[in-house]
Amino acid sequence: MDAKTALTLLLVIPLVASPVVYLIGRISFHQSRGQYIVARWFALAALASMWYPLVVTAKAVLADGGVDLHVGRILLRMDGVGLFLAVTVLMLSTLATLFSFNYVSGEEDEEKFYALLPVLTATMIGLGCTRDLFNLWVWFEAMAVSSYLLVAFYHHQRNSLEAAIKYLIQSAIGSLLVLLGISLVFLQTATLNLDEIRPLLAGSGIVSLAAGGLFVVGFGVKTALVPMHTWLPDAHSQAPSGISALLSGVVIEAGLVAMLRALGSLSEASPAWGALLLAFAALNMLYGNLMALRQTEVKRLLAYSSLAQMGYMLLGFGVALAYGIKDGAAGGFFHIFNHAVMKGLAFLAAGALLYALHLSRGSHRALVLDDLNGAARRYPVTAFALSVALLGLGGLPPLSGFMSKWQIFLAGAEVRSTPLLWLVIFAALNSVLSLGYYAPIVNRIFRNEPSERVLKGNPIAPLMALPLLLLTLATVALGVWPSLLTWLTEPAAQGLLAAFGLR
Amino acid sequence: MIFSLPNIAIVVVLGLFGVGLYGVLISRNLIKVVVGLQIAVKGALVAFVLAGRLSSQVDVGQSLALTVIVADTIVAVVALALAVQVRRKFGTLDIPSLTSLRR
Repeated sequence: MDAKTALTLLLVIPLVASPVVYLIGRISFHQSRGQYIVARWFALAALASMWYPLVVTAKAVLADGGVDLHVGRILLRMDGVGLFLAVTVLMLSTLATLFSFNYVSGEEDEEKFYALLPVLTATMIGLGCTRDLFNLWVWFEAMAVSSYLLVAFYHHQRNSLEAAIKYLIQSAIGSLLVLLGISLVFLQTATLNLDEIRPLLAGSGIVSLAAGGLFVVGFGVKTALVPMHTWLPDAHSQAPSGISALLSGVVIEAGLVAMLRALGSLSEASPAWGALLLAFAALNMLYGNLMALRQTEVKRLLAYSSLAQMGYMLLGFGVALAYGIKDGAAGGFFHIFNHAVMKGLAFLAAGALLYALHLSRGSHRALVLDDLNGAARRYPVTAFALSVALLGLGGLPPLSGFMSKWQIFLAGAEVRSTPLLWLVIFAALNSVLSLGYYAPIVNRIFRNEPSERVLKGNPIAPLMALPLLLLTLATVALGVWPSLLTWLTEPAAQGLLAAFGLR
Repeated sequence: MIFSLPNIAIVVVLGLFGVGLYGVLISRNLIKVVVGLQIAVKGALVAFVLAGRLSSQVDVGQSLALTVIVADTIVAVVALALAVQVRRKFGTLDIPSLTSLRR
């Protein structure tokens, strides 16, 4: 298989699989009432079969720096950044699908869930490959629509509907602003190719500043930059847990990649984008941590912690773009991957407990912190996985979260500028602050007496526990051997800096 | 020339965008919010067609506008489907009453 075919397959398999999964689901629903076993496994098989083309594409990207694919007049090119996004997305969506087998079984419209998951995956992979500002918007919008539908999966629940409506309206306004920004750029330059735009906008003043502002605010809604974040805690806590893991682990990061791609085309118009990202980094870290401290629902707490984690990624990318430090971008990408692993694990483990304690008993109540009391006694594996995830997110040394934060902080220190050093110290203090809500949960799980609810909880299926074990292993392994991922993060950092014309 | 084509078009773009955004921010009714979004997107459509015309790439401008129409209709369909569900579950389309998650 040559690299071009592999890239085509990578995008075509999930998009073709989606309607097939839906049809299989409908047909088997009519033949054996309420059974979706074939549709389920077909969706998983489709995602699993994407790994081989991904490996072929990855080899070509690492050898030649990029794989081009022409679709009519549109050029898709998978470079380091696209490859990074594809690997992260496919890893997490395969595991989230496996996890959801038991989690959504028996729910209304189960076949639509499995039909939408491959679409969400494909749109994020496509988003990473685009070379054209308008094409970027199309992938972004497709990703947004499939995620609205997945957030509204429990559409018979009032809370989920409310969360989906909030998410849809805010996100639609965001993409509207992006669209206006794109039309401004198109008016100014008469082209939409990201690489052609960059030199054309050099010194164009107010127009490109306005377009950049529109991009930051518009993509910032999906990326959950702090004043535009209000949909996130609702959507992440009300979606099915597998989807929460995907939303938090890769969808908001895909929004960040889209924003960086769009800003890359404006990099010669203003040098301030890196500094802007650093400002949002500080805001996100502080606000996310302070809000997470006062939450009582587990999934809502994890959602606020995503805001804080987004701050560290922004710090890494901000350092890279403001000062041209490659390690900052590599650290940022490393943190995106680690966050996908750790936050994915945290949401899946919390979801497993939510399923065992509430959902499998037909109750749609939220999992609150008190429910976790003594969970280790009844669910040792899940409780261990959740603790590893939380401590990793808090940045304790042998786990992967520490390694990526450390790399970002080192990149910040490399610049030798006093204000940036203060920002790095601020980020480190925030990391300590975040332990203020992670550590008590771990304490609760292991040291408190089990509550009635935990003792009477249903068992967790082995198929649900398998993704948890794999992700726990990854969190520990990446913490002990952080260089395992250098092959992926270095080309991504190089690609990002090249897109900003920094190297 | 104040009344040249680009000037008129830019006023139309800003006008549609402003009216739409105002509608989204002011309305209490979910359907009106969706209508506001649609109006604002139409502003962006005019901007694309204008940009295509000014750069003598009329075909590109119009094909972008068509793509936006399709994408935007899908969003409107999803939004209205959710609105139907909201009406069924909450018995109202009033946005301020959708506050069970605020805390």
